[in-house]
Formats: sequence, C-alpha cells, structure tokens
Amino acid sequence: MVEFFAQLRARGASFRLSKGAFHRISAILTVLILIVIFSVASPAFSSTNNAMTILLQTSVIGMLGIGLTLVIITGGIDLSVGSVLALAGTVTGLVIKAGVPVLPAMFIGVAVGALCGLINGFVVTKMRITPFVATLGMMMMARGVALELTGAAPVSRLGESFSILGQGRLFRIVGEGPHGLPSVVFPGIPYPAILLLLVALSVAYLLRRRATGRHIYATGSNEEAARLAGVKVDRTKIIAYTLSGALAGLAGIVLMSRLGTAQPNEGVMYELDAIAAAVIGGASLMGGVGTIGGTIIGAFIIGILRNGLNMAGVSSFIQQIIIGFVVIVAVYIDQMRNRR
Amino acid sequence: MSKPSKNATPLVDMKNIEKHFGGVVAVNNVSANLYAGEVVGLLGHNGAGKSCLMRILSGAMTPNEGVISVNGEKVELKSPLDARDLGIETIYQTLALANHLNAPSNLFLGRELKTPFGNLDDKRMLEESRQVLHRLNPNFKNLLDPVSSLSGGQRQVIAIARAIYFNVKILIMDEPTAALGPSETAMVSELIQELKNQGIGIFLVSHDMHDVFDLCDRVMVMNKGRNVGTHHIEDVTKDDVLSLIIKGELPGGWTPGKKEAVQ
Repeated sequence: MVEFFAQLRARGASFRLSKGAFHRISAILTVLILIVIFSVASPAFSSTNNAMTILLQTSVIGMLGIGLTLVIITGGIDLSVGSVLALAGTVTGLVIKAGVPVLPAMFIGVAVGALCGLINGFVVTKMRITPFVATLGMMMMARGVALELTGAAPVSRLGESFSILGQGRLFRIVGEGPHGLPSVVFPGIPYPAILLLLVALSVAYLLRRRATGRHIYATGSNEEAARLAGVKVDRTKIIAYTLSGALAGLAGIVLMSRLGTAQPNEGVMYELDAIAAAVIGGASLMGGVGTIGGTIIGAFIIGILRNGLNMAGVSSFIQQIIIGFVVIVAVYIDQMRNRR
Repeated sequence: MSKPSKNATPLVDMKNIEKHFGGVVAVNNVSANLYAGEVVGLLGHNGAGKSCLMRILSGAMTPNEGVISVNGEKVELKSPLDARDLGIETIYQTLALANHLNAPSNLFLGRELKTPFGNLDDKRMLEESRQVLHRLNPNFKNLLDPVSSLSGGQRQVIAIARAIYFNVKILIMDEPTAALGPSETAMVSELIQELKNQGIGIFLVSHDMHDVFDLCDRVMVMNKGRNVGTHHIEDVTKDDVLSLIIKGELPGGWTPGKKEAVQ
C-alpha cells in the first residue's frame, strides 16, 4: 500500500512544473495577453511592420538586460550600462571621424565598453567596494568622458556604412506598387534583432553549459561556499562585469548606428529599464537566480508596453506609471510563488 | 584500534601555527599531527580556536606563523584549491552549499566534469552523484531540486559526499553529525570507520564526547587558542577531557593509562 502511494506521488511530481518552467509560461502568457489587448486598442499594433519595430526597439534594452542578468546572478548590480553605452557609441563615432573604417571602429567601441566593465569588476572585487557604489561611480565617469570627448555635441556625418548595423534588415522584400512605385511586402528583420538573438544564445550557452556559468550562479548563491569549493570568485565576478560592459558597448553601437549619429546624451536611465527587464524575467537581486530567456521576455514585456501604449496614444508620463507598476507586480508575483 | 608507529611520517604535521586578528590571538603556537588511518578528535569550547586551526589546514585561512607539512613535505596552502590538490577535503559545519544549485552541481562545484568540448557534462555528474549519494542515503531521490528545498540530513549528505567522492587523503569533519538524526549519525560513524580502514586520516571536530570516544584514536583539546593536550584515547577518561576543555589542564594526580589502572 505504502509503495503504491509512493508510486502515485512520484507520478504526480513528474507532472508538476518546475519553478523555472512555471515562471517562463506565466511570462509568455503575459506577453500574449498584452499583444491581444493592444491589438484590440489599435489595429496598427498587430501589423508586421510594427512587430519589426518592436523587435528593433527592444534590441538595445535586451542586450543591456542580458549583461545585467549576468551581474545580477552574481549578486551584484551594474548601474553604469546606460553611460557606458553612450561612451562606447561616441568613441566609435570619434574613431570613425578620425579615419578608422567602420568595422574596426565598432570593435574598438565594444572594447571600450568591456574596459569599463573590467574596471567595474576590479573595483568591486579587488578594492572591495559594493557594486552599487562602484558602478554608480562608473556611471558618472563614463558619461563625463563621453560629454568631455565630444563637447556634448553629437558626432554626425559618419557615412552610410555606419548606419547599416542599426538600420539594415534581413529578408526585406520590396514589390511593385499600383503606380509603379516600390511597395514594401515584408519590412525585413532588423539586424539588431538578429544580433540580440545571437547574443542571447551565446550567453545562455555560457550560463547553462560552461563551468564559468555555473560558477556565476554559485557565486551569487553563496559566495563563501563557492570560494571554499575552489571557485575563483573574483575572476568569475570580473568576467560578469566585463561581459556586461562589452554588451553595453555593443548596445551603444547598435543604438548610435540606428540614429545615424553618435550622441553622448543617449542612454540616460537605460540601466533602469535593463534592470527592470531582468527582474521581470525572474532574476533575483539577492543573486543566484536568473535566466537569459526570462530577461528577453522581460525586455519584450517592457518593449511591447511602451510601443502599445504609444500606439494607443497614452502619454509618456502615464507610461512611466504603468511600467513602474508592472515591475512591482511582477516581482511581487515572483515572491509569492517562491514562498509557496 | 591500532596505534600508528611513532617513527612513520605523519600525513599532516602542523608546527607552531599562529593566527591573530589584530590583537586577538586565535591560534597560539599550536602543533598537531595526524597519521594515516587515524582519527584525531579536536575538542574545545566555542572560540577555542579549533575551527580556525582547521580552516588553516583547509586553505581557507593563511596562518601568520608556522609550518605545515603533508607527507613530510612542507606545503603552502594559499587557497582551498591548494589544499584540495593535496587531497585535503573539508566538511564545514555550515555545509558550504550553494542553495540555488542542485545536488550534482554542488557536489562537483569547482571541479565540474566536462565533455571533450569543455561543456559541462551534467548527465555524467548526475549519474555519479546518484551513485555516491545513494550509498550514503538510499532514500535520496530528488537530485535535481535546488538544495535549499532539501532536508538538513540530505544537505549534510551532499556535503559529506562532496568530500569523499574525490581522492581524499586527509578529511576534516567539522561537527559532521550536528544536523543528523540517529540513523544518519550511525551511518556517518560507519563511514568514518570505513575511511579509516582505507588509510585516510581524519580530523574530527566535535562537541559530542560520546562520538569522540567511540571513533577517535587520539584526542586533542584546545583552550584559548592553545593546544592543552594531545592524548591517546585509552589514556584518558571523559572527565579528564572535560577538565582539559574547561580548565585547560588535566585533573591533579593524573597518570597515563589511569583508566586501566582503575579497572
């Protein structure tokens, strides 16, 4: 009899969803509900064209969010990503102005971002300054450097090739319209969205399949235990901050390329959107918890909210209120679920 | 219980170890040794310096003074990795588990099994964990749950499994039975006997006098950072050891082997 019950229980347990799966499904459901609501509110929302716009708009926050997720899983925070984004973008612009070809210039931009992250990691681990303060300092310094280098003026006339990354599209199909004018059949998938997918896949691979990823989780879960188990905790954290910086640099280049000019004032408060994306996606600021899939969904929830509210003609002030509300509700639901 | 011969090289030889934090002396000129196949019980009040001494041996803390030799060779233990490379494994009182990770991830933390491409070999780690955990606790089934959701006993079993799975030569057990029920405690005692027979040296930090007298070959007592006495277990009674723990000295008129003399 006892054995029978044990069998029954085991079978029941196999049907129960794991915590991660439950969270994923509820988040995807949220996205779908949002899409339905906004489609009803505004017919233009559900067009292919707008879907591609959302993809484009979400790419930058998505990349920042992925970097932040790495740092948040280690139990840290990176407030500098918005400023690093601006610095990397402007450095790229200035380097192009100085005569460097576009592609190497973009690599330099990513390297500048990585360097900022490396400094963050160094200050956090070796100087033992709390991540909040360390990255707050970097946030001010990176912004200051970007403004100082450019004299606070946008760097423009960077040439056509600079805009390809941000404005180009894959599989764009243009047919012939009724009066012999070109008409867009399929607007094409924006390059930034493809880049986001590639970044998401490679970072998810790092987190799930590589020892470094496991160590990132272990460090955030119990730093002392990880150290005693032989994990190089400092090195792991430095890797997380450096990747966050590099992704902020990449996001900066994508954003500036989309705008066609490098602007030192871009990206203010982006770090908060990125943190919100990670947190909506289930990452815990206490460390040890978070997934790339969740963060991407979180980024899309924010992106769809912004876009849909815009299409519905809601003022940007009201949008702030709604998004702030969503962040709190998402975290609250997450906590309720964990307390069960 | 076989007494190791005095002229054999000790597995571990710690000489004149000192550790101070600012003005506070935690470990004061302590020497200790451990032979293969021997269990040495380490007793003392909270704050007597026994955990500190063990942390030094496990590489989690570096001493200010003193020399540590393993198999007669002088070593420097700068990190837990150095200690592990020498076969020194530790079961911490706090267990030192990463709560959000599952049992296999914790068991192999810091020395993950990998596929030829350098990816994590989760399948093999799960299989190996299943075997070693099953040996210690046949009811251990929920291996893929985060360890935060496991019982105290199961968590303890993971900590023990992690120490003995790899090529352990010197084992430090800090209160290994504190979180365990009677049957699991018996299992740990059995395990200690088995490891001992395999020639592994064990430092057993414990408050349980009963455990110490059951399992140990020698007992070492620390008081206020000093080593106040190392004795073969046959030479002392529980009262003698208590006197060492509390007063830092043996009762007056003590002679070795008093126990036999009384009987």
